[in-house]
Amino acid sequence: MIFLKRQLPLAITFVMGVAFAFQYYIPHPISEEAITSVSKWMQIISGFALALGLVSVFHVHWVKVKRQVPGWGYSLVLFVATVVTAFVGFRSGGETTVDGVKTGLGWLYDNMMVPLQGTMFSVLAFFIASAAYRAFRARSSEAGVLLISAVVVMMGRVPLGQFLLPWSWDIAQWLLNVINSAVRRAILIGVSMGSVALSVKIILGIERAYLGGGRDQ
Amino acid sequence: MKEFARRMVGIDRRVIFLLIAMATLVPLLHPFGLPIKVSPEVKAIYDYIEALPERSVLLLSLDFDPSSKPELEPQAVALLRHAFRKNLRVIGMTHWLTGTSLADDIFLRVAAEMRKERGKDYVFLGWSPGAGSLVIAMGQDLYKAFPSDYQKNPTQGMPVLEGVRNLRDVDYLISLAAGNPGIEMWYVFGKDKYRFEMAGGSTGVIAPGLYPFLRSGQINGLMGGLQGAAEYETLIKQKGTATAGMDAQSATHFVIIVLVLLCNVFYFMLRGETGQQRTPG
Repeated sequence: MIFLKRQLPLAITFVMGVAFAFQYYIPHPISEEAITSVSKWMQIISGFALALGLVSVFHVHWVKVKRQVPGWGYSLVLFVATVVTAFVGFRSGGETTVDGVKTGLGWLYDNMMVPLQGTMFSVLAFFIASAAYRAFRARSSEAGVLLISAVVVMMGRVPLGQFLLPWSWDIAQWLLNVINSAVRRAILIGVSMGSVALSVKIILGIERAYLGGGRDQ
Repeated sequence: MKEFARRMVGIDRRVIFLLIAMATLVPLLHPFGLPIKVSPEVKAIYDYIEALPERSVLLLSLDFDPSSKPELEPQAVALLRHAFRKNLRVIGMTHWLTGTSLADDIFLRVAAEMRKERGKDYVFLGWSPGAGSLVIAMGQDLYKAFPSDYQKNPTQGMPVLEGVRNLRDVDYLISLAAGNPGIEMWYVFGKDKYRFEMAGGSTGVIAPGLYPFLRSGQINGLMGGLQGAAEYETLIKQKGTATAGMDAQSATHFVIIVLVLLCNVFYFMLRGETGQQRTPG
């Protein structure tokens, strides 16, 4: 059992990790065929990840309904919505349109999913405005710089701002292209180096948290 | 005066909500139509498409779902109008499962408007799982990655895909993304290995994070949010929902700036007072 739980996954990870790290630099037909096959495997595994995600969501919300924790009604709505959508989806054969005519699934998508997601996102504007009013204060010199930059970029990125303060366009472009790019690049390099280090640790079997149960597994 | 400042700092948030609602609605009902200035990063995408010969292959990946529809749909519509006007062959797809029907609808609508034919002038491949691994699969063999399109028609032998074996045969790729999987993923798994030129379009929130890719040349152009879409509509000389929405966005930005500045004025008026009230230690 230990062989199946520990040694085999570690061996598969090591072999695949090393093989496909080198594959990138070997433009041979066999190597290309290998990446084609493996990319298909990865797609299939991603499909299973979706099913796993669904099981996990159901489990979390089922526990909430069972224990009747505050807000359990929303979990019930999730179950009802999932069952109804799945039923309509199967009846529609998974299609949203057939010969240019909307199916039941297409109707659900257009009249439930699109307006609901749109509403959720647009409500953010109201909360961001309220939060900015209460929290965006020049409490320190750094916060003051951030406040001025934000005001200039917000003005420079819209026609009214460009009309009222014509210079705000150039300064906003400079802030985005120079200051913002430099900072983002530094963060990206840091994150990328961290990812490379973590990948090497996983390939070499030093990092084993993915096996479940942490380092001692 | 300090009493007024104190009351204003603790203002009911519903007043702010009302101001934002008015700033959005009034310009939509009575647009003031200020001119839209075009940025170099948006112009770069337009220029690249303009320079492509007829029947070149443009891959448009609509990597978003309905929550980002107001910002990214106008970008997609403007790009499609330009591509169809230039008589390019367009391959559409999405990495976001919940955006598949929306993306298909955009293609159907613009193609009907521009009198373009599915399978001959464009194809919508739909969604397939895998994200990065799907891009690798497309880079190796497009027909193995997508044996059929969204309408279940076999992709092999489609006139629109004539001469296209994999991503190496794509002349230009644009990912309109609301997050990940999106532009970064297309670069890492696609452009870097299969060597095609690419650009990106994104929501306003994630656009600043993509500027390093633009500055390094990893993407040759970037459309950010509704402003980016409005700039593109200006370039193709066909106004759409983005240009109409820019007045509302202008007014909303203006209201937020005024609110933030006012709050800071009140904060400074009360700052000494709160310092005095603070108990030592």
